[in-house]
Amino acid sequence: MKLKSASIILLLAWSLAPLLWQLYTSFSTDQALVTPFETMANRWTLEHYRSVISANPPFFLYLINSLFVGILATLLTLIIALPAAYSLSKLSTTKSNLIRIILVGCALFPYVLLFLALLEIARALSLGNNLFALALPYTALSQPLAILLLGSAFTSIPPELDDAARVEGLTLINRFRWIYIPLLAPAIASTAILVFLFSWNEYPIALTWISETSKLTLPVAMARIAGSSIHSVPYGAYAAATVLGAIPLILLVIVFQKPIVSGLTSGAVKG
Amino acid sequence: MTVVYLLIPAFLLLASVFGLPLLRYAWLSFHADSVLTGLQPIANDGANWLRLMHDQRYWQDLIQTLRFAFASVGFELLLGLAIALLLHQPMRKRGLIRSAALIPWALPTTVMALGWRWIFNTPYGPIDQFTSLSGISLNILGNPSFAWIALVYADVWKTTPFVALILLAGLQSIPNDLYEACTLEGASSFTCFRKITLPLLKPYLGLAMTFRLAQAFGVFDLVQVMTGGGPASSTESLALYAYWNALRFLDFGYSATIMIASFVLLSTIVAFGWWLMILLNQRGSMAVTE
Repeated sequence: MKLKSASIILLLAWSLAPLLWQLYTSFSTDQALVTPFETMANRWTLEHYRSVISANPPFFLYLINSLFVGILATLLTLIIALPAAYSLSKLSTTKSNLIRIILVGCALFPYVLLFLALLEIARALSLGNNLFALALPYTALSQPLAILLLGSAFTSIPPELDDAARVEGLTLINRFRWIYIPLLAPAIASTAILVFLFSWNEYPIALTWISETSKLTLPVAMARIAGSSIHSVPYGAYAAATVLGAIPLILLVIVFQKPIVSGLTSGAVKG
Repeated sequence: MTVVYLLIPAFLLLASVFGLPLLRYAWLSFHADSVLTGLQPIANDGANWLRLMHDQRYWQDLIQTLRFAFASVGFELLLGLAIALLLHQPMRKRGLIRSAALIPWALPTTVMALGWRWIFNTPYGPIDQFTSLSGISLNILGNPSFAWIALVYADVWKTTPFVALILLAGLQSIPNDLYEACTLEGASSFTCFRKITLPLLKPYLGLAMTFRLAQAFGVFDLVQVMTGGGPASSTESLALYAYWNALRFLDFGYSATIMIASFVLLSTIVAFGWWLMILLNQRGSMAVTE
């Protein structure tokens, strides 16, 4: 069908064009950026990438910081949300619905409004400039989504299985180890990837908690690059940074497309 | 057997990031806490609230935030529905196409906000380069009438995939035999869409709308990086105004007042959204909560 192919091309163009433009910009010389319609000898350059990579601190450090916080927050979230979700699935319908409503309310809340109080907490407990500590608010803010997603997955496990395992004398920890975690692996994967994406992309809290350049996460580092214009037209370097910052996530989305989609959609159906 | 205690750690965390801050804001909003007071909270008999009432910038930011939220979410729902209908069709390389459609949503907002700043840049960005070929320079990000539209565009670009996926889940929940029956009756595909798809999709549309409105109401990253609230604070959002008050003007009392007031406003909007959703739910057969 012609219409369908055309729509698909349109969709791809709409989604990818801004990125492709960044890619194009990142390889263009400053001269080419200023006068795009003139022919010139020095059209292409790697200079922007060189300047971003050799900056102090090097760009990949921000990727490592984001990766570290993302993984830590994901693990902590799962450790806390899995038992909570299990408990939620064992409660009476009225109680679990009440808790679900509270969780949905929290998930709806635009958490950016919390930054000031969280900053005060960070100051009072000296949690600033510490990537370990930064994972804590992320863990807390991820709980609603994680418990809702995992909770609905737990209710899909037949209670007979749980009872049988208990009769066999398996402790709670062993039931998690041998029954729940293997059975819920797809839901856990979906939750994990969504939490990781949230932590990786989070901006306002990282902005207010971290000030040391060497500890910045990627989103804050990008915003800082935007704020520090040394050159007259620093957009080539911006674009190179955008491309480098986007690559890990593009790979992530391609590899984990299925769990991301199922996480978002089951969140919609059951949340 | 009760296992309620397993919920305790999660709820302690939730209380410390949601409950505690809101209580703190409510308390701070009745105190002066700024450089003038040596950053010590001193009770000020509701002066913050009085100031808020007469703060033109706050009300202007509120209108700007609402304008941004409703425009973005409206376009996101329309476009998201179109994309969901497209992605619902059988096609080759569906996984790859879905991944490509998801990329805008997955990228950090600040990363692409920077990209948009370049695309809308005057005079060197591509849009201005092309319009200036015909002698027009819109100066999009420098013009208070256009800058907010650029923000809406960037937000629609980023969050439409999310809306599309929620609506896709809705489409997948509609049994196929309904459509077969509909075509057997000789109805056109548009009639089937209007009589079957839309009514059954309503709860999902409601869910996406409520969630997106709440998030768009708190828009911060995009505005801060893309326009910095300018030009002439025409794109400043409530969250950004609260942020300036706390970290630039060091007026924590007033910043907290802005945030608690925004929270109350938002709760009203969300409650209204939920009420609307329940109303729509009664007509659709789908239950959104279990």
